[in-house]
Amino acid sequence: MGFLTVLKKMKQKEKEMRILLLGLDNAGKTTILKRFNGEPINTISPTLGFNIKTLEHNGFKLNMWDVGGQKSLRSYWRNYFECTDGLIWVVDSADKRRLEDCKAELNTLLKEERLAGATLLVFANKQDLPGALGLDELRSVLELDDIKTHHWRIISCSAVTGENLLAGMDWVVSDIAARIFTLD
Amino acid sequence: MSVLREKVDSINNKRLPQLEPKVITPEDVLKLAKITDTYLCDPDANIFDIDFTRFKLRDLESGAILFEIAKPLPDNIEDNVDKNTENEEIVDPNAGRFVRYQFTPQFLKLETVGATVEFTVGCKPVNNFRMIERHFFRDKLLKTFDFEFGFCIPYSRNTCEHIYEFPSLPSDLIEEMINNPFDTRSDSFYFVDNCLIMHNKADYAYNGGLST
Repeated sequence: MGFLTVLKKMKQKEKEMRILLLGLDNAGKTTILKRFNGEPINTISPTLGFNIKTLEHNGFKLNMWDVGGQKSLRSYWRNYFECTDGLIWVVDSADKRRLEDCKAELNTLLKEERLAGATLLVFANKQDLPGALGLDELRSVLELDDIKTHHWRIISCSAVTGENLLAGMDWVVSDIAARIFTLD
Repeated sequence: MSVLREKVDSINNKRLPQLEPKVITPEDVLKLAKITDTYLCDPDANIFDIDFTRFKLRDLESGAILFEIAKPLPDNIEDNVDKNTENEEIVDPNAGRFVRYQFTPQFLKLETVGATVEFTVGCKPVNNFRMIERHFFRDKLLKTFDFEFGFCIPYSRNTCEHIYEFPSLPSDLIEEMINNPFDTRSDSFYFVDNCLIMHNKADYAYNGGLST
């Protein structure tokens, strides 16, 4: 191993990861973040800025950034790309009307140079709602199989029931760890 | 701050034109070996209208909220200001920069806590927003928080929760902290582009519920 290993090791001392949660407004980003951290989720209002959580998970220090998804805020997303190790793209699986919008925003992010090295988890949220699209449908509507630039995976979840949140986080963290902390 | 200025003036023993105020940087405060005697910036250094609107502590084991304080919404604040204009206390320029916390000894036995701050930002975008918080018992440094918020959106409302293991303190130190209320203190420094724009202080007692 050589220079690349040295670079990869720079973050190893603290085993710190930066994870960015993005998605359209009302996708459930804040609810996922709160649910994952054991907070009540009964009074969540639209995020007009960011919510950050720093926590320990599986021996790593995670810095999780949830930035508001309203249209007027999306132009500010770029300010949060720097040093991002993982991108969690949250989808409201029941909001069929805006899936094209959802796909377009995701594709814009994937072209972003500063996110080039980031692991991508697509959370197909709101699986508890009737009419929620399943994984296969979302995978094809969002054209995920065309993504060749990022490690990615789609996982169905429900922030309300908590289903699969842990599984998703575990996958993101282990994928990032395998890429960054190679000498463990 | 006014204390510092007086000192400078008397040393020079003559009237000086307004001295260039020294910019306080993160490196400066990370070197501090104890709580500062004065505030290291004026209240009006906060040209970005950053306003802390909520502070919350919760116990991750039980999920219980240990402490929560929130500012009233803006229109209520205006009401209060109007009502209080005759009250001389409100004139203190350092009001709102200092908080006193009273906890029970149980507090020092917590294992994992989440500390949330919520703040709003004014009309200007904020770049490289960074918080450094230093907790001391007397001259002993207990914990340093150093966190980079980075960019903040104009007119945004933001929250940040640090979930952390309570530092494990030796039992004799814990006893001393309980027996010496308010000798545990903290300085919170806030920087924008490496320049100090806010400085808040707090002190802490852990003898709540004990008869003295």
